[in-house]
Amino acid sequence: MSLAPAALRLEISGSLRLFGGLPALLRLVREDLAAMEFRAQLAVAATPLAALWLARSGDNVIARDLAATRAALAAVPLTALQLAPPLARRIEGFGLRRIGELLALPRASLGARLGKVFVIDLARALGEIPDPQTCFVFPERFEQGLELPAPVDAAPVLLFAARRLIAALAGWLAARNSAVREIECLIDHGHGRVTALPLAFSAPVCRAERIERVLKERLDALKLSAPALALRLCARQAEPREARNHALFDGGGQRQEALAELIDRLAARLGPQAVQGLACHADHRPELASRARPAAPGEAIQPAPQPALRPGTALPPRPLWLLDPPEALREVQGRPQRDGALALAAGPERIESGWWDGVDARRDYFIAIDSAGRWLWIFRDPRPPGGWFLHGWFA
Amino acid sequence: MNSALAQVLERSDIRRGDAFAVAPAPTLASGFARLDAELPGGGWPRGALTELLTEHEGIGELDLLLPALAALTATGQTVVLIAPPHAAHAPAWATAGIRLDCLRLVFPRRPRDALWAAVEALRCGGVAATLCWLDELFRGQLPANSLRRLQVAAGEGGGAAFCLRPAQLAAAASPAPLRLQLQAAGRQLRVSLLKRRGPPARQAILLDIRRPAEFPPGFHHAVAGTVLPDAADSRRRIRVAV
Repeated sequence: MSLAPAALRLEISGSLRLFGGLPALLRLVREDLAAMEFRAQLAVAATPLAALWLARSGDNVIARDLAATRAALAAVPLTALQLAPPLARRIEGFGLRRIGELLALPRASLGARLGKVFVIDLARALGEIPDPQTCFVFPERFEQGLELPAPVDAAPVLLFAARRLIAALAGWLAARNSAVREIECLIDHGHGRVTALPLAFSAPVCRAERIERVLKERLDALKLSAPALALRLCARQAEPREARNHALFDGGGQRQEALAELIDRLAARLGPQAVQGLACHADHRPELASRARPAAPGEAIQPAPQPALRPGTALPPRPLWLLDPPEALREVQGRPQRDGALALAAGPERIESGWWDGVDARRDYFIAIDSAGRWLWIFRDPRPPGGWFLHGWFA
Repeated sequence: MNSALAQVLERSDIRRGDAFAVAPAPTLASGFARLDAELPGGGWPRGALTELLTEHEGIGELDLLLPALAALTATGQTVVLIAPPHAAHAPAWATAGIRLDCLRLVFPRRPRDALWAAVEALRCGGVAATLCWLDELFRGQLPANSLRRLQVAAGEGGGAAFCLRPAQLAAAASPAPLRLQLQAAGRQLRVSLLKRRGPPARQAILLDIRRPAEFPPGFHHAVAGTVLPDAADSRRRIRVAV
């Protein structure tokens, strides 16, 4: 693949069998171009330069070999060569209109009169000398924009326009066999005002549908501050696509993928903080023993660190739910109350920690049962002013 | 594989020829033999809504579910909590056998978002069990049509679906095929089957759920530099620990 001004050249002889022959390949190319809303003239020739000239002169000229290329070129008007104006004027001065008329002249005299470069081009087009092309290299980052045909007030409508950009991004990713974790969608309101909509994914994504669904959730939740005039999609730091081997005997891979997609959509609509994983943290203070962790699936499994205990002792029971902040309880005759007096079932367990980081805690924990049969985790602060607190539920 | 096909293959009622050994059972063993005997199919249903109605929290409503959830996470399957009423205390969940890396918590703020999140989680083939606490966000009662949406979503996703709801909704109509009322009974839990597919249950069953065990009084643990409780403290504690 190589680029020329306003033209794209593809080497297809090696791909014909794969795509099921020339007509099928051309149909695919046309469909893809139509999907991206490009109008194009296609031509097939035995040499890259001939193909370019043929495409400029008209649509759907197909010359499969050198002889056919030569024949097809004969009819091409010289304007299709897009020569430099002085040269074009000189050729016009000869009264020549088409390449065929040019080829009828002796080549040696052409070189003398029109310059060596032109004759070399001609020879390249005819396949007489090789014409190596520099391959097109995809840019390292993706950035593509699009002007909206009319100002858009409602964010969800933008999704329609964004589809085209997402399709381009998916193509860009497919060509590099890579995936992205972060995409930025920029909504341009004109006058230099831009709304940035960063999309973060829990796992690298490459499929257009998945990007689209996450963007949809973000757009649905978005209120535009001003009508949108243009849209831009940027992706930096593409990473190699993970080699995926779906397990043959279970749906684990599909499950993980479905879960990753769910988490992305939840995070897109509810905010990244609204979807969390859970992990233990080695701290004696109960309120610090849990940590939120990224919800992305497939994270390495870390063994849950347990607070260090004296050997031979197990951690006393801990409640599943923790109240934040602890609820202050009334005290009547030294006994904690909550809908009546609480019966202490076990305790005390002293937890004392944190004097070094300023969040000092020194508490005596008890397990209590209330009149309704609920199991509470309560503590008493032994330091003045003291008092009883409900800290958790054994749910 | 296209996504429609992938979705179909994730359903609990679709069995792949190459996946016989791990094809999900139609129900999920609850871990309580007496309860399994009363539940249609011998366990918690998958692909259908289960309502757990409790008068109060803290009576062991989660302990009833934990054995089943632990079994799911042990095989790497995901459990999602939607709008949990309090902060989850990680060490307690880990002690109960839940693999924490298989647990996800979702904290929607608005009722609409909560219902949406619950529906999405239920529909997702990658979630083996969803627990949701939605009524509080809906001012005490989730509308019946929302429950129907949850029931339909559970059918699509094929995972176990538990709705934890206040007991005063026991009389309200519900599309959930299984409804259980839970009551505290000392160290046990009294479970009444309000509704099930099959003959109505005669009487409530008592289950031995995991309640906090006794531990030696005066259990003291902390890290370096702790001070032992002073004498005055101990006297006070003796007075309150009666």
